[in-house]
Amino acid sequence: MSEANRQDEAEKLSRREAAVKLIKISLGLAAGAGVLGEFTGTEKAEAGAMLEVPAAAPPPLPERIPQDEAIFRMQQELHRALQKPVAERNWTMVIDNRKCVGCSTCTVACKAENKLPPGVVYRPVMEEEYGKFPNVARRFLPRPCMHCTHPPCTKVCPVSATWRSKDGVVVIDYEKCIGCRYCISACPYGARTFDWGEYYTDGTPQREKYETEPSFEYVKEWPRAKGRSPVNNTRKCHFCLHRLVNGMLPMCVTSCIGRATYFGDRNDPESLVSELIGNSRLMRLKEELGTAPSVYYLV
Amino acid sequence: MKRLYYLCLLTLTLLGFWALGVRLLEGLKVTGLTSYFSWGAWVVLYIFFIGLSAGSFLLSTMIYVFNMHSLEKVGRIALLSALFALIGGLLFVFIDLGHPERFWRSLVYWNTASVLVWEIRFYLLYILLVLAELWLVMREDLGELAKHGTGWRRPLARVLSLGYRPAVTSEGRNRQQAAAARWVKILGILGVPMAVGVHGGTGSLFAVTIAKPFWNNSIVPVVFIVSALVSGAALVTFLYAFFAGEEEDKLGVLKSLAQLLILFIGIDLLLVAAEYLVGLYSGIPDDVEPMHQVIAGQYGLIFWLGQIGLAAVVPLLLCSLPRTRNSSRWLGLAGLSAIIGIVAVRVNLILPAYTVPQLSGLEKAYVDSRLTYNYLPSGNELLTSIGLIAFLVLLFSLTWEALPLVKGNSMRQDNFEGRIQHEGSQSQLHQA
Repeated sequence: MSEANRQDEAEKLSRREAAVKLIKISLGLAAGAGVLGEFTGTEKAEAGAMLEVPAAAPPPLPERIPQDEAIFRMQQELHRALQKPVAERNWTMVIDNRKCVGCSTCTVACKAENKLPPGVVYRPVMEEEYGKFPNVARRFLPRPCMHCTHPPCTKVCPVSATWRSKDGVVVIDYEKCIGCRYCISACPYGARTFDWGEYYTDGTPQREKYETEPSFEYVKEWPRAKGRSPVNNTRKCHFCLHRLVNGMLPMCVTSCIGRATYFGDRNDPESLVSELIGNSRLMRLKEELGTAPSVYYLV
Repeated sequence: MKRLYYLCLLTLTLLGFWALGVRLLEGLKVTGLTSYFSWGAWVVLYIFFIGLSAGSFLLSTMIYVFNMHSLEKVGRIALLSALFALIGGLLFVFIDLGHPERFWRSLVYWNTASVLVWEIRFYLLYILLVLAELWLVMREDLGELAKHGTGWRRPLARVLSLGYRPAVTSEGRNRQQAAAARWVKILGILGVPMAVGVHGGTGSLFAVTIAKPFWNNSIVPVVFIVSALVSGAALVTFLYAFFAGEEEDKLGVLKSLAQLLILFIGIDLLLVAAEYLVGLYSGIPDDVEPMHQVIAGQYGLIFWLGQIGLAAVVPLLLCSLPRTRNSSRWLGLAGLSAIIGIVAVRVNLILPAYTVPQLSGLEKAYVDSRLTYNYLPSGNELLTSIGLIAFLVLLFSLTWEALPLVKGNSMRQDNFEGRIQHEGSQSQLHQA
């Protein structure tokens, strides 16, 4: 519950910022300042009231702004997809490269959400620079796990510790994984990394609390301790499966400041991702290898 | 001298076991590996030893299956090397696991799509086969030892002979030898595809990896097998030259081995040339970049000095120059040089594939010391490797001293065949 509250607060915060921007642009600075005051006022009142409201009653949602349409829609589609049997869902991510500003918020949000140690990263953002001054452009490419339809990594696992689940997510059973790292070599996208059992404060006098917090990957609690899984296991992006089953979008989608990452069920023809996939800007990474990724890019 | 030798081995072994203990307690963070450069020295040594084993075994099948009588004296050495090298390979793959305590899962959970899981089963079957063959070729001598041996060798031989005793009459002995020879031949024939599978399969582990164009090449498993043959022949040459004592026609045997070595090295060079020339000419960046690293980059020294120098040029010269080819010591050194050179071959088969990012820009996307495409083995990796190798050499040396390996060839294949000819001529006489 406290998790959900924090979630709501975070969403409110980002929405408020977006609202501020929109109003500044459309109404001009002077008019905007007035409305801004009004907005922050209502927010404060709500936050104050929330403390007295019993835990069961959710706080009322603030007014929607156009930028939020996508996330509300994806949220609704997520709920719709969760009504279906698991095998009928097909989780898909679409990343709009033109909207990505390369801020790496998703990388950091993912690191925090999954309590990732040094050496482990699920969603780095790659940068490319084109041309020569003064004709220069940069392009950013977030790289989560591709959740391939034909994953080369699951095939090689000697102990069947990793597989593509019915809803299209490539998962790892940390308890089964023997740490041979064959799958890391087999992934053409470098999407699998290894948990070396290291801490950010290694070599300093004190280990910080955030480093030993458990992660909740695959809807299980994983306390961090020496020699205990997921230490010495391969780790990878799992589309925040633990959030999905609780009706929340993956952390990278929620946290994206440019709304460049979309998520949904591509078996649902009316979903946003299905809509985006029907686009001439569409491409997938290393399509020639026949892996058929579930992560699409709009370039 | 011998005492010093064992003392050195024991010290290195203990040092290695201490490092191994640290590694098992601390996990894989003691290595210099990274999430992008995920296999290193231990995997290199794993394929080196598996290759050494397959090579030695294939050499033994040439002797027992294809009747290369000139090499019969080294048959047992070849089989014993095959056994210990395979154990070495398995030890190295074991210590490379993140969760070694779960190794048993690879035997229970059988993902039939994984090359690795088939390989593990292949290795175990292959060990059984080598053990069976080794017992068959030695059972007569072991039986003799159990009967007439002295000191501690006698109870040992009693256990190892599994109750087998040679017949009293020469007639009975001939029959027993014939039976052993037949079974060795059958096992050897079964062993050929198995040894090819063991090492060709090990090569396939890498060759099927579409993520690494440097490996993803059908010549790779063949290179694995041929370089295995080089290392196997080289090991047996080295062992026979330096540790077999004075035997009759030692130089003749070594010369036959040297000829085989030359043949294998020749094929190996041809394959390497094919792989690199085709790859470099085609110019696909993901494939060319690791090759550049090998020929003129960070692996250049290992390639030119190790792979070309020690594994090819030096043994070829030593086996063909008139001054050296008639000396058992020089031929033995040719073997040693080739063995060390094959380690370099294994390094260059594995490591260069990790120098190229899977996606360009990935190396800079997230800066972390475990997310780089650079690798140097850590002190722990080196210590455990040296220690495990010392341990294997120690075990091998002890076995060498305890068992009748070189003197007294029990197979006496000439006798057996002579008998067949004799019988044949007798039946011809009867018909007449």
